[in-house]
Amino acid sequence: MPTATEPGARPPASPRAKRAAPFTAASFAGVVLATALTGLPPQPAGAGPRPVAEQFAQAAVAAGDNLSQPFAVIDKTAARLYLFDREGHLVASSPVLLGLARGDDSVPGIGSRAMADIRTEERTTPAGRFPAEPGTNTAGEDITWIDYDAAISMHRVRATNPAERRLQRLASPTASDNRISYGCINVPAAFYDRHVKPMFASRGRAVYVLPEVAPLDARFPFLRVSGN
Amino acid sequence: MTLSRLSTLLASGTLALAGVAFAQGNPPTTAPANPATGAGQQSPTGGPMGTTGTTPQNTQSGTTTSPPPTSSSTMSTPAPSSDSTTMAASQPRPARADRN
Repeated sequence: MPTATEPGARPPASPRAKRAAPFTAASFAGVVLATALTGLPPQPAGAGPRPVAEQFAQAAVAAGDNLSQPFAVIDKTAARLYLFDREGHLVASSPVLLGLARGDDSVPGIGSRAMADIRTEERTTPAGRFPAEPGTNTAGEDITWIDYDAAISMHRVRATNPAERRLQRLASPTASDNRISYGCINVPAAFYDRHVKPMFASRGRAVYVLPEVAPLDARFPFLRVSGN
Repeated sequence: MTLSRLSTLLASGTLALAGVAFAQGNPPTTAPANPATGAGQQSPTGGPMGTTGTTPQNTQSGTTTSPPPTSSSTMSTPAPSSDSTTMAASQPRPARADRN
């Protein structure tokens, strides 16, 4: 069962991760990371994908893309959220629920459409770098905006529709069933209150959503720059 | 002929003096019934002149009286760039429906 983890309870890295080349300089990190991450197959929401997010985090810090601020990395393939401090050290991680549809972009204008008008194939969680900010939805719930115009946020998991089985999906060991939302990132409530909300109480801190279709360096130009 | 010219000149002078007397008898006002007429330069906030950079919307210490938009409303703010490195503005965004 995937659970939220913190540095003190780190599971051992996978053999694939142990084979990955360490980051020694920003000049080499971008090319190596982009190549390595693009070739990785889908992995379960357990300990496997951690090195992917960690390597990405180290590349972001090496490039200064996090602006010396704490940040988050969301691995859509693994359906997992990772939180890092300003120096790229892992603070905590948790499984999350993501948009039902596979894809890295939001349909233009989807943020202003009613939920009932959003088709299944449009229920994507967009990939890229987003300056997060605390906010409120129309239900009065405090949330963390990822892409305000596309109405994408991180929030506590909502089990208002029992047929969606959101809590069960979060608790399952697989990542493939964590795709159920209309695009928002659903986080376990306790994890949200303990980690996400405090980290993003300040505006502008980065949330990196790793793509599942598009090339990694197409969404994060700093990987190309640091590789030159 | 000379008498006629003198009468015309006298009438003109009398009319001019009457106008001056009328104008002097009406003091200027800074709060006319119609602000568009003769109010002069005023602060858009209704406050004293010289306080530039303030608008009526942001003089309420961070609160707003406008109703929050509904899920069907459209926003005109530009979409954030996926690789933007600029910090967001300090003003909180209006509440809006998220994508659950």
